[in-house]
Amino acid sequence: MTDQREITLTVNGTERTIEVEPRRLLVHAIREDLDMTGTHIGCDTGNCGACTVLRDGEPIKSCMMFATQADGSEIMTVEGMEDLPAAGEDLHPLQEGFHKEHGLQCGYCTPGMLMSGKALLDENPDPDEAEIRDAISGNLCRCTGYQNIVSSIEYAAEKLDEQAAADGGVVAEDGDSDGFDCGVENCCGGPSAETPTPHVEGADPQFDDVTEGSESE
Amino acid sequence: MSSDSDFTTEPKEYQHDDDGGPQPEKHCGHGRGGMGEEVARKEDKRFITGRGNYVDDIKKPGMLHCEIVRSPHAHARVENIDGSRAMDLDGVVAVLTADDLLEHDLATMPTLMDDTQDVLVNEKVKFQSQEVAAVIAEDRYTAKDGAEKVKVDYEVLDPVVDAAEALEDDAPLIREELDDQEDNHIFDWDTGDKEATEEAFAEADVTVTEQMEYQRLHPAPIETCGAVADWDPGNDKMTVHMTSQAPHAHRTLFSQVSGIPEHKVRIVSPDVGGGFGNKVPIYPGYVVAAAASYVLERPVKWIEERSENIQTTGFARDYDMTGEIAATEDGVIQGVKVDVLANHGAYNAAAQPSKFPAGFFNIFTGSYDIEAAYGSLTGVFTNTAPGGVAYRCSFRVTEAVYLIERMVKVLADELGVDPAEIRRRNFIPSDAFPYESATGWNYDSGDYEKALDKALEMADYESYREEQKRRIEEDADKLLGIGISSFTEIVGAGPGKQCDIAGIEMFDSADLRVNPTGNAVLRVGVQTQGQGHETTFAQIVAEELGMDVDNIVVEHGDTDTEPYGLGTYGSRSTPVAGAAAAVAARKVRDKAKSIAANELEAAEEDIQWDRQSGEFHVAGAPDRSITITEIAAGAYMNHPGSEEPGLEATNYYDPPEMTYPFGSYIVVVEVDRETGEVDFEKFVAVDDCGNRINPMIIEGQIHGGLAQGIGTAMLEHVTYDDNGNVTGGDFMNYLLPTANEIPNFETGHTVTPSPHHPIGAKGVGESPTVGSPPAIVNAVVDAMSHAGVTHVEMPMTPDRVWESLNEAGLALDPSQNVSFDFEGGQSEGPADD
Ligand code: FES
Ligand code: FES
Repeated sequence: MTDQREITLTVNGTERTIEVEPRRLLVHAIREDLDMTGTHIGCDTGNCGACTVLRDGEPIKSCMMFATQADGSEIMTVEGMEDLPAAGEDLHPLQEGFHKEHGLQCGYCTPGMLMSGKALLDENPDPDEAEIRDAISGNLCRCTGYQNIVSSIEYAAEKLDEQAAADGGVVAEDGDSDGFDCGVENCCGGPSAETPTPHVEGADPQFDDVTEGSESE
Repeated sequence: MSSDSDFTTEPKEYQHDDDGGPQPEKHCGHGRGGMGEEVARKEDKRFITGRGNYVDDIKKPGMLHCEIVRSPHAHARVENIDGSRAMDLDGVVAVLTADDLLEHDLATMPTLMDDTQDVLVNEKVKFQSQEVAAVIAEDRYTAKDGAEKVKVDYEVLDPVVDAAEALEDDAPLIREELDDQEDNHIFDWDTGDKEATEEAFAEADVTVTEQMEYQRLHPAPIETCGAVADWDPGNDKMTVHMTSQAPHAHRTLFSQVSGIPEHKVRIVSPDVGGGFGNKVPIYPGYVVAAAASYVLERPVKWIEERSENIQTTGFARDYDMTGEIAATEDGVIQGVKVDVLANHGAYNAAAQPSKFPAGFFNIFTGSYDIEAAYGSLTGVFTNTAPGGVAYRCSFRVTEAVYLIERMVKVLADELGVDPAEIRRRNFIPSDAFPYESATGWNYDSGDYEKALDKALEMADYESYREEQKRRIEEDADKLLGIGISSFTEIVGAGPGKQCDIAGIEMFDSADLRVNPTGNAVLRVGVQTQGQGHETTFAQIVAEELGMDVDNIVVEHGDTDTEPYGLGTYGSRSTPVAGAAAAVAARKVRDKAKSIAANELEAAEEDIQWDRQSGEFHVAGAPDRSITITEIAAGAYMNHPGSEEPGLEATNYYDPPEMTYPFGSYIVVVEVDRETGEVDFEKFVAVDDCGNRINPMIIEGQIHGGLAQGIGTAMLEHVTYDDNGNVTGGDFMNYLLPTANEIPNFETGHTVTPSPHHPIGAKGVGESPTVGSPPAIVNAVVDAMSHAGVTHVEMPMTPDRVWESLNEAGLALDPSQNVSFDFEGGQSEGPADD
């Protein structure tokens, strides 16, 4: 309890500074210190993916990382989906897809699925079924049998494609459109609250291992 | 039960597309959204935006956290518990043991089978990870630190984990605290006519026998169990937010355990992240959290970790079964016998609200017209976690369906008759309903051949049979197997004459209140864990009152506001609470007629309701009409003198009989002769759940259940070693299927309404979990049956399948095709699974 560290996370575009024990898991910091309970916990072995968030644009299992390790990074959770430019006035196409295609039942895996789906579409706007299944294979769903989740992500891919076409060309979905965009808010090309940070992909190789290891289940 | 006049006649009106033709267009709140429409779910928004409210999301001022200290041993005497080092930690508030609970009379709790389970171990540990002590602390991490510092001294005893070994004379006695318990035997049960069955076997042309194990599974919803208990000393009231599939039943049990009067107990089941039977029983964690809150007068949260969930809360199945069939040489079944050894774990804690010790297992004659049937079953204590819950299953029907559908395949292979054909020869004919089975069940309706025909056609059965033959002839590396299951479920527990929980009959309830502005609130006694009740129950009311589905809100899960109900499991929500909702809506409709008469200045007998328009009008004068919205206003602002003001009704529905959904599933697999790996080529599921409320939600339920069926058949198993250590007790070792293991499903349906259900519906949630495992095993066996394979045990891991291939002389030596480029690299046997 005594040894507390101050860390700063940019969560869904807003900078938040909190004090945490060095051993505190990122998922607990998000859920309990930042009170964003959309991100869930479903296991103690890094298998279920209910805790998936985007860290600097990459999907990670936030139960597999200490909050202190995430110090300085950009975190996106389900709560940030509606604020993305692609959401327009309402829901993000991924959220809309899950609703229209009945991609959720109890909803417990859904925030993690949305994050994995977002990471996939940021990187591959036109995935085939096998690629979608692979991208969500680190996220367990006990309710849906996955088929409708696949359809939900396909729905979103189409919708985002239509949006891009309507905007007259290939536009990164989060981008305010000048140049390269990694898809992360407040990162290189992403929508920025204030000062855009330099692109940070692969900034933390140790962390990449965690992601890979846990995704391969 | 309802005396409503439309009781038996209305179901037929809902038959939207009997042939499973194109569905009505997806409906997103633009029409009325009644029966049969694919209304997108009303509850989705909070889940897709991260605004769901699950138990672990609840935070209360001053809330403490509870961590449970668990036994590393499966069988051991507790000699001493020393919590002093835990208490020395900053932030640890209390360490609780059985002694503390004894002071408050909370040391034990009843199971759903009238056994008594320790809340915290009093004297003896009976399974690994059993609850020994609890640490209450200011935060999660400190509670865990504290739990590590609690020192427990054990005298380790020999455990027994295998049910057959537990019955041996020299087996360690697990439950010596029970009076008269001299061995590990719990009960014997038998059903059917033994003599008639023996006679059928004596006279039969052919008999077949097969032993099969339905392995121990865990429902493993992605949200584990948990609770936030909050004792309010100012009002002497206990509020528990908990992961509950049956909040009212839990309130009654909580009150009985704690002695707090029931009207001072409030159970709230908020959003629940999947249940599947796991959240039906009461677990020690709930009781400890409540006891701690009572003693400390602060809210206490207990949240289980995944490994605790799999290792200690209700497992499912664990039936070792021997089936036998007697038949004529033409394959007409004359008798069926089954003998079961049931591992119940350390306590008899099956979630089993029927009046039979093995639930509805006695439906094991399945979809077939079998004259003589006899089943016997022995329940046994072992040093394993207690359970026997109905994992997405109506109380052991899953085991029964597995048995009969496997046995029919064994018989077909013995006689060399096509497995589809042998089913046809034995189906209960469609004109024989209502049908009474040899074990006394009264089937409501069915048309089994129609469902099978449809599935065969969808699966292109004949051409797969040809392809299968071709591959055998060509000695192909990959064999094809085609498996069928034509199951009948028994759901909708249940009639008071057959079902109760702690003596309370298993009716369910609905309370419908129409507001002055014409919208309505429906409160139900069942509880959704993802089934979509907030949408489907609103659709029932929309249908019955001519309201728009968007104008109806469904509330559930809070015992302070909802009418008493028995909860959601066993596919009982639609058969029981769905009926209650329909009947309550019809009562409102009756009252609405008198208000309509008043408003339209006509006689009440002349008022008619039109289902199509949803309006009330004067007979013979359709333009003199009035909507339910206008009637609602009238009920509050201009009520007729003959009626009370207001527009509401309540119904408690005791179903007259169970309902019997059915279906035919066809699975085509490819079996790799080198590796024993199984690939799904085709997966067809034709279901008949009577009249359909929301086809989209039904299809979602089918998909989910089929995926669980695949998990059962291919991956899942809670395993123990001989020392009683759980070796399949977390998500590293208890494997849930991922998106990569699940194929796409092709679904179809037929519609055979239930004649005794107010809206002709039967319930569907569990059919796919119940019906699919035998279809999958039949398919894998079918790939090898030409070489004499009759059975493969679940989960059918590649090594097990390869063993069967090998024994049948079908295995290919993998080393022939694999080259190793490292020194000394040699491989024998199957490739790594
Ligand atoms: S909580 Fe299961 S992977 Fe993070
Ligand atoms: S919707 Fe329940 S776990 Fe996926």
